[in-house]
Amino acid sequence: MHLLSVNNLLVRFRTHDESVFAVNGVSLDLDEGETLGLVGESGCGKSVTNLAVMQLLPKPAGKIEGGEVVFQGRDLLSLDESEMRELRGKEIAMIFQDPMTSLNPVLTIEEQMVETIRAHRRVSKPEARARTLELLHTVGIPQPEARLRNFPHQFSGGMRQRVMIAMALALEPKLLIADEPTTALDVTIQAQVLDLLQRLTTERGTAVILITHDLGVVAGMTKRVNVMYAGFVVEAASTADLFARPRHPYTVGLLHSMPRLDAQPGEPLIPIEGVPPDLRRAPVGCPFAPRCAWRVEACWTAMPPLDPIEATQVIVTTGPNATHRIACWNPVTPEEAIAARPLRAGFEPAAPPTEAVS
Amino acid sequence: MAQPPAPSGVAAAAGAAGGASPLLQLADLQMYFPITSGVLVSRHVGDVRAVDGVSLTIEKGETVGLVGESGCGKSTVGRTILRLYRPTGGHIVFEGQEITTAEGSTLRGVRRRMQMIFQDPYASLNPRMTAAGIVSEPLEIHGVGTGRERRQRVRELLATVGLDPDYGDRYPHEFSGGQRQRIGVARALALHPDLIVADEPISALDVSIQAQIINLLERLQGEFGLTYLFIAHDLSVVRHISDRIAVMYLGRLVETATSRELYERPLHPYSVALLSAVPIPDPAIESRRRRIILIGDVPSPSNPPPGCHFHTRCWLRARLGNPERCVEEQPALREMASGHAVACHFAEEVEGSPEQVLQISGDSPGASVTAAAITPTTATTATTPPAPTPGALPAGPSTPQQPVPRRRERS
Repeated sequence: MHLLSVNNLLVRFRTHDESVFAVNGVSLDLDEGETLGLVGESGCGKSVTNLAVMQLLPKPAGKIEGGEVVFQGRDLLSLDESEMRELRGKEIAMIFQDPMTSLNPVLTIEEQMVETIRAHRRVSKPEARARTLELLHTVGIPQPEARLRNFPHQFSGGMRQRVMIAMALALEPKLLIADEPTTALDVTIQAQVLDLLQRLTTERGTAVILITHDLGVVAGMTKRVNVMYAGFVVEAASTADLFARPRHPYTVGLLHSMPRLDAQPGEPLIPIEGVPPDLRRAPVGCPFAPRCAWRVEACWTAMPPLDPIEATQVIVTTGPNATHRIACWNPVTPEEAIAARPLRAGFEPAAPPTEAVS
Repeated sequence: MAQPPAPSGVAAAAGAAGGASPLLQLADLQMYFPITSGVLVSRHVGDVRAVDGVSLTIEKGETVGLVGESGCGKSTVGRTILRLYRPTGGHIVFEGQEITTAEGSTLRGVRRRMQMIFQDPYASLNPRMTAAGIVSEPLEIHGVGTGRERRQRVRELLATVGLDPDYGDRYPHEFSGGQRQRIGVARALALHPDLIVADEPISALDVSIQAQIINLLERLQGEFGLTYLFIAHDLSVVRHISDRIAVMYLGRLVETATSRELYERPLHPYSVALLSAVPIPDPAIESRRRRIILIGDVPSPSNPPPGCHFHTRCWLRARLGNPERCVEEQPALREMASGHAVACHFAEEVEGSPEQVLQISGDSPGASVTAAAITPTTATTATTPPAPTPGALPAGPSTPQQPVPRRRERS
């Protein structure tokens, strides 16, 4: 049994006159102690997927319209709010991009951490305070005794994120969801926070879902990656496999459009042309087709399933030997992945069907 | 304004320039923002030293990258060059003309030749103006052409940056982030400027769109012979686009070098740490790399540490046994190799980034093979073998003051 299984999750945001198709059938599995990266651009559904797991979707607009979320054998979607409350923080914790908006600005660090601990554990205030001190020490806050009585605004961005990590790990959760935890931080502070995060989660065997747009962070921090685009998982593989042998045109495009620190001077960037799709329209076909140089006719009409790249009897969804899967009708060959363009003689991207032209 | 009095700093900053006159020279530029206190009578109680003595030369046609972390003063340098602020001290010389204190029509004349591209394409475009109106505004302010000519020019400009000229009558909210940044680029190009200060022009954009804008800026530079000052925090991007890079820390330049030199042979301990902290999207490389984790945060620019601003976080100083000189004496930017200047008393102790980063972590030599392959062996004034260096502690267990080397456990 997996620690977490998300099956065919559908999330939509409805307003009075339109719908936003945020997550369109996402499936992912996670084992205990595993680190999974969710990569994609803004609006690809990576954050919404996790908010749905935590049942923290903004109400009333956000609705889970299908699928299931199973955590340690329990179907989370059938739990009521008080049962979810019991679970959040204790079993699954979350840290966000901007710690300033997730810490309470009018409570001291001590007050909010003690409150968190006492909400889930039957401990006295002095015990909770001692635990808080120990946690602040673990995450490397200098002079934790003095800092206990400080308010969040008295901490720097990096220190605030450390406090968030301390709070998230206070109850020793099985799963930590980190949503762009270092995006707001400077690169030297990012290195500090990632180092801390990796050390603590490895020590405690905490499973991590790391949500990020930064392929560099994913390469160093995770063992497995799911690439998302417009509410779909388009490629899933072990991190090593994904970077060595990307097969989906979007993954290949992402890798070529980011300047690398170790690139040869003068190496040109190959951007992905066009813009991400408007999620207010129901997806028809592959959402990447309009920007894709590899598209074939089927791409305009049918979304390909997330299938193994090679025929196999058993699909392994977790662990270091996870099956490399892509959702693509016309996968990129290894040579094409290096060239970042189709190399087949006479290949032209399929023109859109006439009735679907926007 | 009279001709510049050839301040000594300018001559020094010219350095690599040779005979040709550079497009822009900054000499000991200072920009302090006063901190005041009091309700009725405001008293001057201190300064935020956003820019604290920056000397930099930009040649015509080149791209200079200015990198540093938030609050290091890099954006203030850019804004001061455009004279959006009046500098506290130092000199700004644009094509031989001193503009440090220029005003009125002189300043307007110079500003026509210097334009800016901003970070946030949502905040930098007036939501009540059409795209054509935004791009046309500089032309109107400077009285260029007739109405008809301006309209024609706006259409050309929109096409140049890859937008449909017929979109001119749309409003900013009707465009995507990347398209809005293209409008900002078109506006900057309208007056045929010589210098464009691009302040984090791609940071607000999605990954797949960033490359589009970088390529656009590179193409325009070739077409129009533009000179860029490219301000950004992302070293990968800066390295890609820049000919030369200036690294800034707490209001001062700590190192200037060509992009290639800075990457292959950083000489300032801060640059070494910065380079080691940038993640590379390749798990095979990431598993071999070691990070120098700097301790603590950047100090406040209103009360910077004495001497070298970086000494409070410096891993090298810790390895050298915390010499007093770093606290007592501000290091000057000194040239260590042609076009490679560094502000560190002990830059000779820094040798080549990847190897030393490995040295600091006391790692097995096997991993340094690739690092050795990309480290040039050409002798420069700074070449110092690590082992015999007095004071340096290669491959030893960390002392408490030392940065914690980041180890990547892979199973």
